[in-house]
Amino acid sequence: MNLIGISINHRTAPIELREALYLSRDEITELVAYLKENVLSCGFILSTCNRTELFGIHKYGKIDFNLILDALINFKKVDGISAKNFEKYFACSAVNHIFQVSTGIDSLIIGDSQILGQAKEAFQLSEDLNFMDSILRRVYDTSLKVGKRAIKETKIGEGAVTISFAAVQVVEKIFSSLEEKSALVIGAGETGQLAALHLRDLGIGKLAVSNRTIERARNVAEKLDAEIIPFENLKDDLHRFDIIFSATSAEGLLIQFDDIKNVMKKRKGNPVCLMDIALPRDIDPTVRKLDNVFYNDIDSLKVVVDQNLKKRQEEIPLVKNIIMEEMINFYGWYNTLDVVPTIKTMREFFESIANDELEKIKNKVGTEEYEKINDMTRRLLGRLLHNPTMKLREIAEKGVNSEEVARQSLLVKSLFNLNGNDSYENEINEEINRQL
Amino acid sequence: MLNIIHILNLLLPVLYLITVSAYYVDFIRKTAKLQNLKRYSLLITVALHLIYLLLRTIEFDHLPMTNKFEVFSLLALNIALCYVILEIWSDVRETGLFILTIPVIFQFLSSAFIKDLVDVPTVLNNKLLGIHVVSALLGYSGFAVSAVYGVLYYILYKELKLNKFGLVFNRLPSLEHLEKLSYYSVICGFIFLTFAMIIGIVWLPQAFPNFSYLDPKLISTTVFWIIFGVGIMAKAVGNWYGKKVIKFYLIGFVVAMLSMFFANVLVKSFHVFY
Repeated sequence: MNLIGISINHRTAPIELREALYLSRDEITELVAYLKENVLSCGFILSTCNRTELFGIHKYGKIDFNLILDALINFKKVDGISAKNFEKYFACSAVNHIFQVSTGIDSLIIGDSQILGQAKEAFQLSEDLNFMDSILRRVYDTSLKVGKRAIKETKIGEGAVTISFAAVQVVEKIFSSLEEKSALVIGAGETGQLAALHLRDLGIGKLAVSNRTIERARNVAEKLDAEIIPFENLKDDLHRFDIIFSATSAEGLLIQFDDIKNVMKKRKGNPVCLMDIALPRDIDPTVRKLDNVFYNDIDSLKVVVDQNLKKRQEEIPLVKNIIMEEMINFYGWYNTLDVVPTIKTMREFFESIANDELEKIKNKVGTEEYEKINDMTRRLLGRLLHNPTMKLREIAEKGVNSEEVARQSLLVKSLFNLNGNDSYENEINEEINRQL
Repeated sequence: MLNIIHILNLLLPVLYLITVSAYYVDFIRKTAKLQNLKRYSLLITVALHLIYLLLRTIEFDHLPMTNKFEVFSLLALNIALCYVILEIWSDVRETGLFILTIPVIFQFLSSAFIKDLVDVPTVLNNKLLGIHVVSALLGYSGFAVSAVYGVLYYILYKELKLNKFGLVFNRLPSLEHLEKLSYYSVICGFIFLTFAMIIGIVWLPQAFPNFSYLDPKLISTTVFWIIFGVGIMAKAVGNWYGKKVIKFYLIGFVVAMLSMFFANVLVKSFHVFY
């Protein structure tokens, strides 16, 4: 199988280069058009801010990475990028890599939950652009299956691996039913927005946002159906919230020890969860001394993230086992591809002999006898060819060794002289070379 | 039937141990297979335990409460049953290890030392007393389960305050869950104890005409009944939350244990039957 591929990812290039090489949907469409005309008969392109993958089969069976490398680099002219920023894959290793990407074990954050969806979109786009063939479709189907199995059968995707999500994990360890709770997010920047989104996804009862610039707060509040708390009156409203996330870019402390002491008085000691995910910190860390006040900052949340990443690392061997199982299934299928034409040719050969002989006696017997002989001939052919047909399929499905499949196919061709060529040994070698 | 009783007597501590082991392994390793298996093991054990006590009642013609070790077995069943109900209702399965350890201990003691008494003091054969004892034991079971949840609450609370995210953080349910479980256990315990006290008040003058309301057992029971009652009202009406409420229940439990020791061991109460 002449599937070739190149990959630029977190192992091979810094983030600036990876981001610069990112291809939008329109750019992928344009590049695919070029590749279709000049280089590949089929392929797909997966591009995210952390990786770009280009895989395909050359139009004329060539195995030349430079062709696709040059196509990509020349299309998206990025300063400082070169061939050394790309990993190269071919045949079995290409399939293995695609499966590893789909399961998230090749991602910067192990168990990345988004990559499977992104891979699906990449394949889908390729299909829409008529850039797929049966082999790549099979690769696509199997990679989806592998990705789903990894999620279902292992814990590769479990546990929070970002600070915001870790903060929410801690909140869930304090409060059981978030639907009855209220949360305030101070700071409407990227981190604050992410935290607010996580809380909304988990079904927080009431959500409020506060930001120095009211417009930014409004944007986030509208998206997430949240209340806006004016930044100037923040301290007057703190006691209303069970969960407070603070993610501003303020230089000094926004919330002091006495502020939280007052909050606890107004809340009659009911627990409050303070997640200080700002750098530098927004909340005085000494508030943790107060009863029923749970305070976490980035350092403590990083412990949660590191633990979860470690657990995901431990799941990698299980995922690799799943990948191996599916690789075996994939190549079991792939090996049958060569057998199908052989079976077809063999059946056609026997049918042509049968038709010849039937033609000879057609005028020598009556119509009724002819029909009976015709039926008997078909049944005879079916029974005689059943075992060789099943055996060939079985060898192809079981055999991961493509040489064995090639040998068996050629033996059949040679026995019945299906190619009209007596040089069996030469044909075997040619066939093996062709398959490799 | 006696043979079956003896077989069950030997089997029960083993079954409890197997069940607790399953809960322990699942707590440490968290495996999908054990999630359901451990519950099945618990249900089978509790069902067999119920059958065991029923058979004892039929065979010996009295409720299994005529000696300490029968009471231990009854207590073990009550605690296990309490836990089963709470686990099914809340679907919180991670706390079984801590609560079911108590039935293991009590059942082992019971199985080791239980006597098959047919002849028992007449007072212990009374049906009202039987209902009173079973109800009281259910009450104590509720408080015991509540106390375990209270301790787990404190442990998790401490871990969260110190930003420690180890096994306890990963396995135990949330603080709010633990508090709810503790609260509902106390309510069940309180209801059963109240019922037991009412039966006691009705039955007492008939059984012990010379009894005194100043009996140490009656006073101490009333004290911790009040403590639990106040704790329940504080949460239901006063909206108390978290550590404050848990502290109340734990104090109530400690007072209950001390009162049992005080009334049954240290002083002479009419309430001591064996």
